Amino acid sequence: MVEAFAVASGKGGTGKTTSTLALGMALAEDHDVTVVDADTGMANLLFHAGLDDAAVTLHDLLVEDADAAVSDAVYERFGMKVVPCGTSLAAFRAADPERLRDVVADLAADTDVLLLDSPAALGSKSAVLPVVLADRTVIVLQPTIPALSDGLKVQEYARSYGTETAGTLFNRVRDDEGIERVTEQADRYFGGETLGVIPESDAAREARQAGEPLLAHAPDAPASQAFREAASRLDVRDGASEDVADRFRSAVVPDEV
Amino acid sequence: MKIPRGDLLRSRVVDDPGTALATALDRRLTGYAVFEPQDTVLLGDETRGVVTFEDGVPVLAYCTDTDRGGAEALADVAGPGPYSVELYELDPSALAEAHEADDLRVSPGLPAERLGDDRDLVTRTREAAPDARLGNDDTDAVEEFLADEAQIEAIREQAREEARDRAEEWGLTDALDDRDAV
Repeated sequence: MVEAFAVASGKGGTGKTTSTLALGMALAEDHDVTVVDADTGMANLLFHAGLDDAAVTLHDLLVEDADAAVSDAVYERFGMKVVPCGTSLAAFRAADPERLRDVVADLAADTDVLLLDSPAALGSKSAVLPVVLADRTVIVLQPTIPALSDGLKVQEYARSYGTETAGTLFNRVRDDEGIERVTEQADRYFGGETLGVIPESDAAREARQAGEPLLAHAPDAPASQAFREAASRLDVRDGASEDVADRFRSAVVPDEV
Repeated sequence: MKIPRGDLLRSRVVDDPGTALATALDRRLTGYAVFEPQDTVLLGDETRGVVTFEDGVPVLAYCTDTDRGGAEALADVAGPGPYSVELYELDPSALAEAHEADDLRVSPGLPAERLGDDRDLVTRTREAAPDARLGNDDTDAVEEFLADEAQIEAIREQAREEARDRAEEWGLTDALDDRDAV
């Protein structure tokens, strides 16, 4: 059983990486979860997961003549399998996105839920690849006009590749009173349901500084509880892992970044 | 709304009131703009919209004719144009009292959204606004944005076209879902 979700947002600063790891930790209570930093150009998941000094990362798997095995870049952390990506620009340039589908296919064969932390951009082939490959997207929004309009854009891009929206997360919410009216209206335009409304939280920033996912750093914070509720609303679909692996292998992948 | 008369910086007739908002933003103007729609110029009406600024970012909106403030004032003034626009500069202390009037407030990007043609100006204005101004009072603007179905559909349609164009550019057309292909 496996389903691959791209955790996406059109805009930076929505707390996408925090959300990916929070959903991952919450889902890991019932599923075997693998989290991949698919934002190969601006990786930051490693900082959130205390993997700054990871010896092998996704970049090492994407270079030509890679001598690292996929398993070398998988780290058991916080009850999940975490595949960080390095931050070197040179490594990003040397990386061959063609190889991402094989890496992800390998990972998909051996997990229940695959979460791809996707780039906050749509301007390049490698940026759009995670939403091309995923089964469904979770779109991370903020109740602001730029975040909503960029979220709509991501949704349309993903749908163009047959990737439906599993649901939306409203993150970093400051206005408790108005948010219900906003989510109600936004529901008309986004697929799936509003999975959760996550209050703005100092704990998220502190967790990042401590190099821990929010749910590990402050499990009782209101934001952590809201993420857990959101994860429980995400209906992970059954599917044969081989199907997913095959799909990744056969996916059309660009020749160059 | 009571504000002292400021120093006139410029006065002109424009098709897009957004150009005056952009000027105020670029100059980090503290002061106000008076917008007078063309039809009132012709008919001799007294519909005037006033938008005040702090460091280039809109704070209040008021319509003299309808005596309404905030988003409603912008709706009263919005029209096909052209507009006669005057920009005035004021000392910040001269606006302090007026800026306490909550009922006239607008979210930073709303005047650009309602009166201007340029979406980038909305974004630029919001980026220039202090964090405190991007908080709760934004909800109204977000609701209005989501209520505008035609605008939302336009964003989606543009994204769909862009996605297809780029898929071609990136050699990803085989991965496109063709269920809704024409």
